[in-house]
Amino acid sequence: MINYWWLSSFMVVGLFIILKRLNSLSGNSIIKSLTNPVFLAITIVAALLLLFKLPYKPFYQHTQILSWLLEPAIVALAVPLYQQFVHVRKNALLILLSCTAGIINATFVGTVLALFFAAPKALAASVAALSVTTPITLLVTDSLGGVPSLAAAMVIFIGVLGALFGVLFLRFIGISNHQAQGVAIGTACHAIGTAAVLNENVSAGAYASVAMALSALLTALIVPWLYPFLYQALL
Amino acid sequence: MTKLKLFLQTSSQLVVSCGIILGCLLIAKLTMHFIGGSFPAPILGMLLLVTLLLSGIIKEAQVIPFASPLLSFMPLFFIPAGVGFIEHLGLIQQYWQFITATLILIPLTSLLLISHIIGYYKGRAQHD
Repeated sequence: MINYWWLSSFMVVGLFIILKRLNSLSGNSIIKSLTNPVFLAITIVAALLLLFKLPYKPFYQHTQILSWLLEPAIVALAVPLYQQFVHVRKNALLILLSCTAGIINATFVGTVLALFFAAPKALAASVAALSVTTPITLLVTDSLGGVPSLAAAMVIFIGVLGALFGVLFLRFIGISNHQAQGVAIGTACHAIGTAAVLNENVSAGAYASVAMALSALLTALIVPWLYPFLYQALL
Repeated sequence: MTKLKLFLQTSSQLVVSCGIILGCLLIAKLTMHFIGGSFPAPILGMLLLVTLLLSGIIKEAQVIPFASPLLSFMPLFFIPAGVGFIEHLGLIQQYWQFITATLILIPLTSLLLISHIIGYYKGRAQHD
């Protein structure tokens, strides 16, 4: 029997390029967030696998080349982190403090909710590192014994929510300071939120990029220590 | 001849850039292998590269040729892992209230907290 699974990588790459192209056609930030290529690609591939009752494992094995490239790509994240760090050195301490508070808050709220809803251990670990960009979530959630794919889907969904309602919510609570808006959305709603903020205001967008890059680093440093401590203390 | 020279120059820049990124990843992997523990090696590699860039040992231009395409296609690399949630549909169905609560409350509380910390020091309103 012919093994068609080897087409998986080509299909994912092709689908992503088409969706990225379609996404770039729109200038509206709401449409841009709703047609996020990663969000749509994951939804379409998942729907196809479920519709045709195809197993996930062979799909994952035959797209492993893409997952392998994620590791050097994470190392390459050092470049935007360096570029942004140089630009906001003046406010570095305040941004560092805010991002740290945001990450601790996200892990704390996730663990408290897991306690409240009596969620199993794997699910509790899956919501411990949601305030960060997807590739870091995958790595950190895996190291905590969670379900990385579920955490990734949740992070993307949070990003879309942040892109749609983040700035509106901050204006509603009386925060119009660009630095506050940017750092808050960059930390809480990472790449998708940052892209939406950049569309609205360049200054807020720059702060959001810094916060996003810094959160990636801080999450990897803080959450693997904080979560086991909170889990022991609360659950 | 000029085209060949340009090609060789671009290729060597790409090889150097690729070597720096993969070198950082390799050092991080070896470090984690010997130290043990669950800290993700690629993040240690990122930390190492940031340190090298900030200290000026490595110049930004040396890393860009390989880093730039990697970063622009990065979202593509986590699609296969992201699709894996279909293996846990039962768990999602069983704990949908918990998942919905985290999806709303985690970003909401983080937005509130961070914006208020910065607002406290820098003011809530934008002064142009």
